[in-house]
Amino acid sequence: MAAFALIWWAASVLTDNPLLLPSPQAVSAAFAGLALDGELFTQSALSVVRLLAALLIAFAIAAPLGLAMGMSKRFEEFVDPVVELLRPISGIAWIPLGLFIFGVGQSLPIFIMAYTATFPVLIGTVSGVKSVDRKLVRAAETMGLSQSAIVARVVVPSILPALLVSLRLGVASAWTAVIAAELVGAPNGLGYAISWYREMLVTPKMIAFIAMVGVCGYFCDLALRLLAARLTPWAPGAEARR
Amino acid sequence: MNARLLRMATLPVALIALWEALGRALGGPRTPLPSKVAGEAALLIMSGDLPAALAQSLGRVFSGFAIAAAIAIPLGIAMGRLRAVERNLDPVIESFRPVAAIAMLPLAILWLGAGSGAAVMLVAYAAFFPILIHAVAGAKGVDANLARAAATMGVSGATLARSVIMPAAMPQIAVGLRIGLAVAWTAIVAAELAVGAKAGGGASGGVGQMMFAYYAYSIELNRIIVCMIAVGLVSLALDRLMRFALARAMPWIET
Amino acid sequence: MTIDLQSVRKEFVARDGARTPAVEDVSLTLGEGEFVVIVGPSGCGKTTVLNMIAGLERPTAGAILADGRPVTGPGVDRGVMFQDYALFPWRTVAENVAFPLRFGPAGAGLSGAAIGDRVDATLTLVGLAAARDKYPHQLSGGMRQRVALARLLSYEPKVLLMDEPLAALDAQTRTILQDELLRIWGQDGPAASRRTVLFITHAIDEAVFLADRVVVMSSHPGRVREIVPVDLPRPRNDATRADPDFQRIAQHIWSLIKNEAYRAATS
Ligand SMILES: Nc1ncnc2c1ncn2[C@@H]1O[C@H](COP(=O)(O)OP(=O)(O)O)[C@@H](O)[C@H]1O
Ligand SMILES: [Mg+2]
Repeated sequence: MAAFALIWWAASVLTDNPLLLPSPQAVSAAFAGLALDGELFTQSALSVVRLLAALLIAFAIAAPLGLAMGMSKRFEEFVDPVVELLRPISGIAWIPLGLFIFGVGQSLPIFIMAYTATFPVLIGTVSGVKSVDRKLVRAAETMGLSQSAIVARVVVPSILPALLVSLRLGVASAWTAVIAAELVGAPNGLGYAISWYREMLVTPKMIAFIAMVGVCGYFCDLALRLLAARLTPWAPGAEARR
Repeated sequence: MNARLLRMATLPVALIALWEALGRALGGPRTPLPSKVAGEAALLIMSGDLPAALAQSLGRVFSGFAIAAAIAIPLGIAMGRLRAVERNLDPVIESFRPVAAIAMLPLAILWLGAGSGAAVMLVAYAAFFPILIHAVAGAKGVDANLARAAATMGVSGATLARSVIMPAAMPQIAVGLRIGLAVAWTAIVAAELAVGAKAGGGASGGVGQMMFAYYAYSIELNRIIVCMIAVGLVSLALDRLMRFALARAMPWIET
Repeated sequence: MTIDLQSVRKEFVARDGARTPAVEDVSLTLGEGEFVVIVGPSGCGKTTVLNMIAGLERPTAGAILADGRPVTGPGVDRGVMFQDYALFPWRTVAENVAFPLRFGPAGAGLSGAAIGDRVDATLTLVGLAAARDKYPHQLSGGMRQRVALARLLSYEPKVLLMDEPLAALDAQTRTILQDELLRIWGQDGPAASRRTVLFITHAIDEAVFLADRVVVMSSHPGRVREIVPVDLPRPRNDATRADPDFQRIAQHIWSLIKNEAYRAATS
C-alpha cells in the first residue's frame, strides 16, 4: 500500500501536470476539504439512499416472485421466459429510454438500480427454493405443519443465506449502474459530482469523489455481510464473518 | 411438451400484444410500438449502421478483456500461491475493487481522451477484478496433494505453475472469465453512453453512443429499443461463445 | 397404536414413464408397544415401507391402517427419525426440539413455558442439556443423532419410525446409543408404557439386540423374506450380546441374506 502511494507520488512528479495526475497530497487535501464542508457526505448520502430505496423495491418484487417461481413449476414456465428475455438487457442499456420516461432526477437512478438488482435476487431466490432440502420439508410434514407454516418455517429460513448472497451481488451491480445513471441523468449524487468536477477540471476533487464511490461501495457490502452474520448465524462461515 | 411451450409463450406474446394495442389506442406519434421497432430494426441492420456500431463496441470489449485476462490470470495465480505477493497486493486490490468501473471513466477520458482508449481502459478495469478474484481462489483451492505429487516427480517453480496449478485452477478461472466478459460488455455500453452524454458529438461511436444520440438529438424511441435488444442479444451471444470456447479449450471442465 | 400393512405394493414411475417396482406384497403388523426391526440389503425397499407408514409415500396397491383407520398422509401420531437426521440447520438444539411443538399441532394449547419445560426434560433424557444452544453444524454425529431422537420424542408420537438412525456412527457410540434407545423406549418398565417402534438397520447384530421381531427383506423387488422372532429376555444389556441365543439368531438372519449381499457387493 505504501509502495502504491510512492509510485503514485513519483508518477505525479514525473508527469508534472496536476490536471492529469494530481499528487496524493493534493487529493488528500481535496478529500479533507470536501469532508469538512460536508459536500462529500451529502452527495454520498444521496446515492446511498437511492441504493437503499432501489434495493427495497427490487427485494419486494424479486423475493415473492422468486418464491412462487421456485415452488410452482407451472408458474415458473409462465414467468421465466419474460425474465430471460429482459435479463441480458443490462440496466445501463435502459438509461436512454429511462431518461426519456423519467427525465433527469431521482427516479431514473432508482429505476436503473432496482432493475439491475432485481435479477440477481430473483435468480438467487429461485435456485434457493429449488435446492431446499426435501428431507426437511418431509420432516416438517411428519410433525403436522400446515403448508403455509412449512413455507414460513422451513422454506424461507432455508433460502435466507442464498438470498443474502444474491442481495450482495445485486448491490455490487446496482452500485455500478447508479454511478452510470448519475453520470448521465441525475442533478446530484456521487456520479454527478464526479462528472461535475471533471468538467470544472478540478481533478483532485474528482478523484476524491471516485475514492468515495469505493468507500461507500465497501461499507454497503460490509453492512450486508454483518446483516448476514446476524440473520444467519448457522450458515457456514458465519462465525468467521462476525 | 406442447402445453409447456404454450405456457412459456403466453406471457411474452400477451405483453407484446398489450403494448402494441395500448400504444395504438393511447399513444402519440412518438410512442414506441413493437411493429415499428421491428421495422426500424430492419432499417438499421440493412443500412449497416447497427452492425458497424456493434462491431466497434465489440472490438473495444475484446481488446479490454484480453488486456484484463493477460494481467489478471498470472497475477491471480501468483497471489494465490505466494504469501508474500498476496500480502503486498491484496490491500491495493481490495481498495480499488469496490470503486465501480464507471466511476473511473472521467479519469480515463482525462488521460486517454474520449475515443477508444478510454473505453478499452474502462473495460479492462471492469473485467480485471472478477478474473483476478477467481484466479486467486482457483490457485488457492488446488488440491495440495496434486502439488505434492508433482514435487515428488521433481516438478517445481514456473513449470509447476504452468503444468499443475493453472490447469487445476482452470474451472474457477473459467467462471471468472465468463463473469468478466459479461461485466465488460455492460461496461462498454455504459462508457459509450456516458462519453456520448458528456463529451458530446460522435467522437466515440459504438452502440452505447448510438443509443444516446437517438435520445439526445433525434428522440427516436423505437431505435433506442432496437439498440437495447441488440445489447441483450450480444450479451447472450458473448456468453454462449465464451462457454463454447472454454469447453473446446478445456474439455475436462464443466462450464 | 398398531400398524397394519396388507399386501402393500409400491411402484415408482419416473417422468419418462419408467417403472421401478420397489416393494411387492408386504404384509406386516406392528403390535402395540412392539419393537420391530427391518433388515435387508441396500435398495430392498426398507425406506419405502417406512415412508408409506409415515404417509410420505402412497402405496400403489394394498392398504395401510393405523389403529384400523387408513393412512392418508403424514400425521403427528407417527413420528419419523430420518436417516441423516433432517435437523434444521438454522435452529439451535433446543429450537430444533421445540419445533414440532411450536409450529405443529402437537403443541397446541401448550404455553411457551410448558414447551420450554418439555424441551428441557427431553434434552436431559437424551443427555444433551449442555448443548442446548449449539447449532447442528457444531455437533458431533452422535450428538446430532440424539437431537433428532429428542425432537422425535418431544411431541410424543404414538409410533416411532426410525430409518437407519445409527448408521453414520462409529461402533462405540453406536453401542452406547443402542442401550440408551432401549432405556428411553422403556424396556425396564412395564410393556404397557412402551411406544410402538419400527426401526431400520442393515446391521444384523443391532437388529437382534433391539428387536422383538426382525423382518428380513430381500430385494428386486422388495419382499418380506422371513419374520424372525427374538425371544431374548429384557432388559437387554452387554450380557445379551454374549448370549449363545443372540449369536444363533444373528447367524440365522445372516444365512438368509448372505447370498444376496454377496451378489450386491460383487455386481
Ligand atoms: N423416489 C423414487 N423414485 C424412483 N425410485 C425410487 C425412489 N425411491 C426409491 N426408489 C427405488 O426403490 C427401491 C427401494 O428403495 P429404498 O426404499 O430407498 O431402499 P432401502 O431403504 O432399502 O435402501 C430402490 O431400487 C430405489 O432405487
Ligand atoms: Mg434407505
